Amino acid sequence: MPRKVVSGPDYDDGYDDDYDEYDDDYDDYGETGHSDVQHPVKEEKVSLKKSSSTVSVLWRCSMCMFDNHENMVYCEMCGVFRESFMKSAKDGSIKVSRIPSDFGTPSMLKSDSTKMPVKTRTTDFGGDPETKNATISHDKVNSTQSASVGSSSSAGKKLKEDQSSRAGSSTQNEDVSQKLSSDIRNLGLEKNEVDIAKPYLPEEYKPEKWMFAVEESGVLSQLNLAIVGHVDSGKSTLSGRLLHLLGRISKKDMHKNEKEAKEKGKGSFAYAWAMDESSEERERGVTMTVAVAYLETKKYRVVLLDSPGHKDFVPNMISGATQADAAILVVDACTGSFEAGMDGEGGKSVGQTKEHAQLIRSFGVEQLIVAVNKMDAIGYSKERFEFIKVQLGSFLRSCNFKDSSVIWIPLSAVGNQNLIKIPSDVRLTSWYQGFCLLDAIDSLQLPSRDVSKPLILPICDVIKSQSTGQLAAFGKLETGAIQNGSKVLVSPCGEVATVKTIERDSNSCEIARAGDNVAVCLQGIDGSKLIPGGVLCNPGFPVPVSNYLELRVLVLDVTIPILIGYQVEFHIHHVKEAARVTKIVALLDKAGKPSKTAPRFLKSKQNAVVQVTLDAPVCVQEFSKCRALGRAFLRSSGSTIAVGVVMRVLGQDHN
Amino acid sequence: MKLVYRNLVRNGPGSVKLVPEEEDDLWHAYNLIVPGDSLKAVTVRKVLREMASGGRDAERVKLNLEIIVESVDYDKEGSVLRVRGKNITENDHVKIGQFHTMELELKRHFILTKDVWDWLALDTIQQACDPTASADLAVILMQEGLAHLFLIGRSVTVTRARIETSIPRKHGPAIAGYESALNKFFEHVLQALLKHIDFEVVQCVVIASPGFTKDQFRDYMHLEAARRDLRKIIENRSRIILAHAPSGYKHSLKEVLDSPSVMTLIKDTKAAQEVQALKDFFNMLTNDSARACYGPKHVEIANDRLAIQTLLITDNLFRNSDIATRQNYVRLVESVKKFGGTVHIFSSMHVSGEQLAQLTGIAAILRFPLPDLEDIEM
Repeated sequence: MPRKVVSGPDYDDGYDDDYDEYDDDYDDYGETGHSDVQHPVKEEKVSLKKSSSTVSVLWRCSMCMFDNHENMVYCEMCGVFRESFMKSAKDGSIKVSRIPSDFGTPSMLKSDSTKMPVKTRTTDFGGDPETKNATISHDKVNSTQSASVGSSSSAGKKLKEDQSSRAGSSTQNEDVSQKLSSDIRNLGLEKNEVDIAKPYLPEEYKPEKWMFAVEESGVLSQLNLAIVGHVDSGKSTLSGRLLHLLGRISKKDMHKNEKEAKEKGKGSFAYAWAMDESSEERERGVTMTVAVAYLETKKYRVVLLDSPGHKDFVPNMISGATQADAAILVVDACTGSFEAGMDGEGGKSVGQTKEHAQLIRSFGVEQLIVAVNKMDAIGYSKERFEFIKVQLGSFLRSCNFKDSSVIWIPLSAVGNQNLIKIPSDVRLTSWYQGFCLLDAIDSLQLPSRDVSKPLILPICDVIKSQSTGQLAAFGKLETGAIQNGSKVLVSPCGEVATVKTIERDSNSCEIARAGDNVAVCLQGIDGSKLIPGGVLCNPGFPVPVSNYLELRVLVLDVTIPILIGYQVEFHIHHVKEAARVTKIVALLDKAGKPSKTAPRFLKSKQNAVVQVTLDAPVCVQEFSKCRALGRAFLRSSGSTIAVGVVMRVLGQDHN
Repeated sequence: MKLVYRNLVRNGPGSVKLVPEEEDDLWHAYNLIVPGDSLKAVTVRKVLREMASGGRDAERVKLNLEIIVESVDYDKEGSVLRVRGKNITENDHVKIGQFHTMELELKRHFILTKDVWDWLALDTIQQACDPTASADLAVILMQEGLAHLFLIGRSVTVTRARIETSIPRKHGPAIAGYESALNKFFEHVLQALLKHIDFEVVQCVVIASPGFTKDQFRDYMHLEAARRDLRKIIENRSRIILAHAPSGYKHSLKEVLDSPSVMTLIKDTKAAQEVQALKDFFNMLTNDSARACYGPKHVEIANDRLAIQTLLITDNLFRNSDIATRQNYVRLVESVKKFGGTVHIFSSMHVSGEQLAQLTGIAAILRFPLPDLEDIEM
């Protein structure tokens, strides 16, 4: 996260900042106004320039994303030493793409991915800890500088050099390290000890060459796009229509769907049936679980996550759509339908348009396309579109979506208006000249991908692979990368397995990197140990398994206040588990400082730190270490009562 | 429970003879028997006898023993009540002062003698012996991949079965895997239903779930019943009803009991009253937070100011082994009653009682706001 005084060096993370009341880090330095709100596309160049100029002054902590000053050897916020490798967190894909192809091909792999860094640590433990720290941190400084200063063409080479120097010895760096060691003395002894005590520090992780993307021609980067919205707003129909228009559905299938839909008297569901394949969903005309579909745009390989809109299936939506990088919020423009989506049936509860928007924001999604659907039913009225824009816009602002990262598109999925090309209907073209949906998808920015961190792949689903018939874990790589033959640790059972094959959209591939949605076929593990909600991780960096957590939460609109002992359903990445609030530690004020300790209860819109105990342990990681494994949702009585992030994993003994 | 005779003085010593008749009654007996009481019942003990030849001979003897109670254990899954204590009856096999653990059984009478029969104990007997308040309801609470089967008695909710399977999501042609996994799951639930639900005892079966899982399961059940000729289900078709639940976890049971269709079935029972009382408490906390409080200390203060209108308290607070603490709570309840308040004693075996127990076990709705409670440490 950026410092108070400087505006964010990159447009990408800038969106995060305002949200961090309960999102990012807890120190609320990020509350600074980003006056230079940039449009993701148009000002890309500008912001890139800016980032290259500011990067040399600031460096970002790998743990807490805090932007530190260049002359700080460790992070001001969390005391972690300067990140070792290239700063992949920054404008990920762009930087990666600059690396020339001499960087390394998959064939020159070293297979020491399982080598535990802790071992190397302990061997040189006998030495003077201070100088050791100094050399290590010097290495890091060196590498980060080279990564950030290095011009586009030489970045890769420098990295390579850096690695070799790392692998070799630190003697050549001695003179510099001595200078640095004086800095380090100022750190204070306890900080050093803390760092040494921890056996697994992700910053020690050395990513291998194959993990970084090589500029491959014709390979598009992957974007996980969730489609959310109120029930019956047309999410599945929109997805089905998109797939059809882009030729992803064969004529035969489409014809079959149309025929069957007509037989059932639900002609308008023909496109939705491309997504809703189970008989139950078709019969009731409601999506029940998240459907996954793949399509390609000019810029991206898009993974569509078509989520259910019905109130009762929000848990499915949470477990299925947490992987989203960006989202399309589908809104029904019809009179009454839009209102139902906002205020619930009869204005009693919260509608799913609101609930989903809130949830999708707390998944960490910053870029939103609002698709105002069914414009044909209201005669492409501009007034209605503007009305919805105002109404929903103010709500989205309150959810901390930035105006600049929300794209509004009027369209009609059934009428095929404004989907993949500019609309043909005069009533719409008369007042709308903006993006069509497909262009809007292309205008989205890829979020940062942490390839350089240890592997984390939350298992979304366990499926039978279509090509081999074996069980495969399906999910999105949050950080790191895997390839065929990699050893992975399957949490929570704690067994090590070998990656046999990797499949992406039913096609096998060699390597999968952070951000990719893949099915991983594993060898050497019993199928019953592979469960949805588990995590595949690097054997050297196991993910903690715990049932006692401290969260920082934002309470949403609740009718019943949250008390100690409150029973909730706890959702985190793909797991749900019954839990109860065991302690309300403190209320937090706007600035994130504790304002009142041990309050009696929590009410709507309050920020607080709470402790929860789960009925069964789950894989979980502090938010500062891994965002995907650190976002939690509390639900009760069929609605989401609080969203939050994991502050601390408090172990498993407490019950 | 059947009361055979009673010979006691209110707030004084005395004894009662009781016959537990159903599993619920053992729970009441558990609440009734506290350490320090004396309990007389028929029991079996293994007696070792030394033979003249020097060998040993073990024999199980049936005895009528009276013991001074030292501890009471209740196993809610098996509905077994074990009472441990020191023998005080003279007989051939067990010496006075020897320890003995007796198991109270259904249909076997026992005589309980207490030094003090307080208001609470008498109330428990009265409740236990009231046959009209019984609600024998079976609830199947499910969501895709998770199901619980509960039997709800008058004052006890028992989890009879918990079924958990992982159901894959739909993935193109792999859709068949989803359907078959779902059918397998339903089959497990159906087996649990057939095994644990006795339609002789249970008035009605509620199937509750979010979404359509309940409809899917009902369809599956009726289809299978017709196919396999499961008389039990075919004959009781009308006694199986559907209800909505927000999730398949146990704590959602209170929403099921709260739903209008189920409420009419159980409206006079303790379970229903408890759910209602707890709901009132939460409503008050939402609307006027100064008029609701929880935690022993806050409630105590509120009582001193005569502010308590409704007191919610779980029965396990009375089960405290420290007699002084128990007397304290009994006095609190009596004082609330004296000043015109109502008291709900929650069974900690029901879900609402469980929730109250999480909330320190004691809570109160007040007559007038006491905003300064906020500042008093809990």
